[in-house]
Amino acid sequence: MSDKDHSSADDRTLVQSAQKGDMGAFEELVARHRDKIYARAFSMMRNEEEAIDLSQEAWVKGWQRLHQFQGESSFGTWMTRIVINLCLDQLRKQKRQRTESIEAMDEESGGVERQMPVITINPTAGLERNELRQRIDKALSQLSYEHRTVMVLHEFEEMEYKEIAKTMGCSIGTVMSRLFYARRKMAALLQDLRKQNT
Amino acid sequence: MDHEKQLKLQSFLDEELSEAEAREVASWLAKDQEATLLLAELRNTRAAIAPFEAGIRLPEAREFYWSKIEREIERLEKPAPAKEKTSWLAAWRKILVPASAVAALVIAALITIGPPASPGQETESSYSDTGAFTYRDYDAHATLVWLSYPEENDLADAGPIDKVQ
Repeated sequence: MSDKDHSSADDRTLVQSAQKGDMGAFEELVARHRDKIYARAFSMMRNEEEAIDLSQEAWVKGWQRLHQFQGESSFGTWMTRIVINLCLDQLRKQKRQRTESIEAMDEESGGVERQMPVITINPTAGLERNELRQRIDKALSQLSYEHRTVMVLHEFEEMEYKEIAKTMGCSIGTVMSRLFYARRKMAALLQDLRKQNT
Repeated sequence: MDHEKQLKLQSFLDEELSEAEAREVASWLAKDQEATLLLAELRNTRAAIAPFEAGIRLPEAREFYWSKIEREIERLEKPAPAKEKTSWLAAWRKILVPASAVAALVIAALITIGPPASPGQETESSYSDTGAFTYRDYDAHATLVWLSYPEENDLADAGPIDKVQ
């Protein structure tokens, strides 16, 4: 398949060619989905260099496991699952090495989000897209890795609670509590950022 | 509002409830303003972060990014190199092993034939089938055990020791 054929072919055709060893077809798949895979890694890792490394590792694994892809999901979804698992492994490794902050322990013990006052004004109303993205970026960085991961898996990967529980190795109840905490914390952080800028 | 109700509201938002449970929450929401406000907050947050990743771009050029992936794939798929020729250390070992075996024999012979033990001393020497040689001086409470170097073939099969596998 020529380069021109690659660029006009759909994902399914490219995958089939890549499964037969066509590296050019795989390169086209990488080009098409690289932003999405990198974005997922960055959302989880919050570090550009780590996200680049892990996304590349995901692509290498994707090539090695291409024969396992049967088309039950889209190729992009299949690849994001690979990068998510790599990020989770890396985060677990880092957690074992890192001493837990007091804030993180407070998050884990739970409770504070249940008493937080409800934020009635939409803190993101009237914001331009770039400004909103910056604020969300800043707020996401302030969540612990467990809460951020649950949020990423639910909001971006659109996983159900039980799927998240299986991926993270925790109970559905824990997923629900962490997601609830993460959402309430995000709302409060976005509200604070709005107040700082007005 | 207790925590269980708060989580139920969230599950309602995320469409994780059964139809019956969802109807129950909907009728509760119609009567409870606090619940309605909390649901609105959760909904706003979800809507705010949903498009976050769409704006993220990989900060590397296509060719550069791909070149690293391609290089790694090729490295992993490269066949393992053929066994290297014997290193200089392995070559030396061919000379050293028999030389040390001969030296052990000479020492054993000298000790066996050597000057008689002085009064009050006893000695014992032996050379076992394993190639170990034992010398005991009971008076001095000393025992010397000489272990000959393993056979050349054992080491050759294990490969050169200066190369990490």
